[in-house]
Amino acid sequence: MNLFLKGGEVASENTAPARADVWIENGRIKAVGADLAEPEGARVVDVSGKIVMPGMFDAHVHFREPGGEHKETILDGSEAAINGGITGVVMMPNTSPSIDSATVVKRVLDAAKECRIPVLTSGCITVGRKGHEMAGIDGMKKAGVLMLTDDGDAVPDAALLKRAMEYGSEFGMFFASHCEEPQLAGPRALNEGAVSYRLGIEGTPALAEEISMSRDLALAHATGATLHIQHVSTAIGMEQIKWWRDERGAKVSGEVSPHHLMFTDEDIGDYDTHYKMNPPLRTAEANVALLEGLKNGAFRIIATDHAPHTEFEKSRAFEDAPNGISGLDTALVSLFDRFIDKGEFGWDLIVKRYSAEPRRMMELEVAEVAEGKIVDLIVFDPNGETTFTKEFMKSKSSNTPFLNKTLKGSVEMVVLGDEVLLER
Amino acid sequence: MARKDFLDIVSLDREEIIQLLDQAEPFKDLFTRSVKKVPALKGKTVLMLFYEPSTRTLSSFEVAAKRLSADVTTFDVPSSSVTKGESVRDTIDTLQAMRADYIVVRHGLSGQPAAIARQTGASVINAGDGAHAHPTQALLDAFTLREKFPEMEGKRVLITGDILHSRVARSTSTILRKLGVKVAFLGPGSLVPKTASPEIPRFTNYDQAIREFGPDAVYLLRIQKERMAAPFFPSDREYHNLYGITDERLRQLAGQGTYIMHPGPINRGVELCDAVLDYDRCLISQQVENGIAARMSVLYGLKPQTS
Ligand SMILES: [Zn+2]
Repeated sequence: MNLFLKGGEVASENTAPARADVWIENGRIKAVGADLAEPEGARVVDVSGKIVMPGMFDAHVHFREPGGEHKETILDGSEAAINGGITGVVMMPNTSPSIDSATVVKRVLDAAKECRIPVLTSGCITVGRKGHEMAGIDGMKKAGVLMLTDDGDAVPDAALLKRAMEYGSEFGMFFASHCEEPQLAGPRALNEGAVSYRLGIEGTPALAEEISMSRDLALAHATGATLHIQHVSTAIGMEQIKWWRDERGAKVSGEVSPHHLMFTDEDIGDYDTHYKMNPPLRTAEANVALLEGLKNGAFRIIATDHAPHTEFEKSRAFEDAPNGISGLDTALVSLFDRFIDKGEFGWDLIVKRYSAEPRRMMELEVAEVAEGKIVDLIVFDPNGETTFTKEFMKSKSSNTPFLNKTLKGSVEMVVLGDEVLLER
Repeated sequence: MARKDFLDIVSLDREEIIQLLDQAEPFKDLFTRSVKKVPALKGKTVLMLFYEPSTRTLSSFEVAAKRLSADVTTFDVPSSSVTKGESVRDTIDTLQAMRADYIVVRHGLSGQPAAIARQTGASVINAGDGAHAHPTQALLDAFTLREKFPEMEGKRVLITGDILHSRVARSTSTILRKLGVKVAFLGPGSLVPKTASPEIPRFTNYDQAIREFGPDAVYLLRIQKERMAAPFFPSDREYHNLYGITDERLRQLAGQGTYIMHPGPINRGVELCDAVLDYDRCLISQQVENGIAARMSVLYGLKPQTS
């Protein structure tokens, strides 16, 4: 393939987008520069006014295979990622059976081979995510797992988590924590506050996350383990990560999901389950604090917590409906619409927090639109728009607050290696 | 403009509330006559759909519907679907076939009556959902209080007990405040959430509440048996001592002419002592009687979109 992207604005993690043509040949970037001569025989695509940047990478997705294929398969999930400009993902292990052994890891990675983007998987800390015995860490490591997490729940036994950290760190593995004190969390339907009182449903206080996080951060510091905190929803949680990292030198990091930056528990309105996820949506003040944290580097990465559920499952009573929203199709466009387009932050932040840093965290080569690099790029049209109909979304489930809504921005092209994965 | 459904108090304005209260008065007058029926809902079907058992509320609605000459059907909710799992859509499919004009729903999960209402042309009346709302209780409470205080503006009602889990506290406090009544909450710190409402004074000490708030009526909430088991407070005995109407407190309230209300069913020796039931300003039996008139007013005022 010989492709010439003409007149676009090339973005990187360190610089604002700058006008440059991009010449792609045989899966590599041959040249990047302003006003390059159009190479002979190349297909020329006019991308003027559009952003050319590395493909995104999402380190927190729930593909439901094995066990929940009616919600999402690995293949469907990977296509949703491509649809949203994402060229790599890390699966969470709360499938059925859980991804807690080399056998299940191999089965999952086998299924992932038919995907057009790299699909990695994390592995459980404990067998079956039950919190009783350590999962087969050596076997999972050999099968290609780097991240250990019981995502969906915290490891309830602090002593077991401490021993797992001591044991697993020796294999070069890192830990990721879903922080939630189970007794305080209660039925896990929504944030505790004025909205939970008004709706008459027991809420989960911010405290449930803060306390659990404080425990896990201290454990990481004490054991020397590397710990990544997943889907932070509270300002105090975020500040704790920063404190342990900056003041105590702990090897800790945090992630924030787009929905915790954009929505609040007020959006639940009259029991709308499209705003039901765990950790729950909190308050407008939390939105502001988390956005500030994303800007000032408190968070290492953005990740969706892509959690597909069928329309039927989401049509159940608010208390009974499952937690989670589908996020891969919508993440990048919604971040553009809500933040970049409004001048809250620039493309460099998105590239850093949603492409470069998550790849570094997973010890992968960072994608760059630069001479000599393997092609891993997307073209984004800031003047376009996207309507998230069921037909548009490639995820098998359409449980998103953006369903049938039109947002600014559009992913126009996805190119990986020698292949154009998407072109609108 | 008549509503299709009666789901909560929050969405009603003051005028609608007053109209419902006014409308209940002639229905109450009817109860003293030999023929207690009017033909208002003749030929209409009222379906009782109670996912949570409640003999009192169910009977009250049945009597109300029958006094309006409606046909009443009580749908036997299979206990398997009571617990968990049945989706609203499944329920609706079943209900459509019954062609009811009015559906009275009680459900353990907050928001379910509203979810049913969105999917049927029948008028849906919320007979209590989770900890969310109990709007007909609120209406009968307001009606009962208005009988004693025709000018309700500025009167004071102290709602006492499990504010956190009570749909009655939510709906009754809302209706009273819409009518200009001042409301305060009193109960154990673990059961009076600080997030309830910034405009409602919050007390955790009985004497302080009586002294500082000076209620015209004390509204006692039922302490659910399951809450007594859960550690929200040490024991029902301690609850009674700290928040219940004891003989001594009853004497004090009687001296001040304070009314006592309770949505029922009562726990003797917990929220109140036996003597309360003989107190001449105890309004509990009036509440029960007024419940029928209030529910007749609600049924009468709604407009089902059934053909
Ligand atoms: Zn999680």
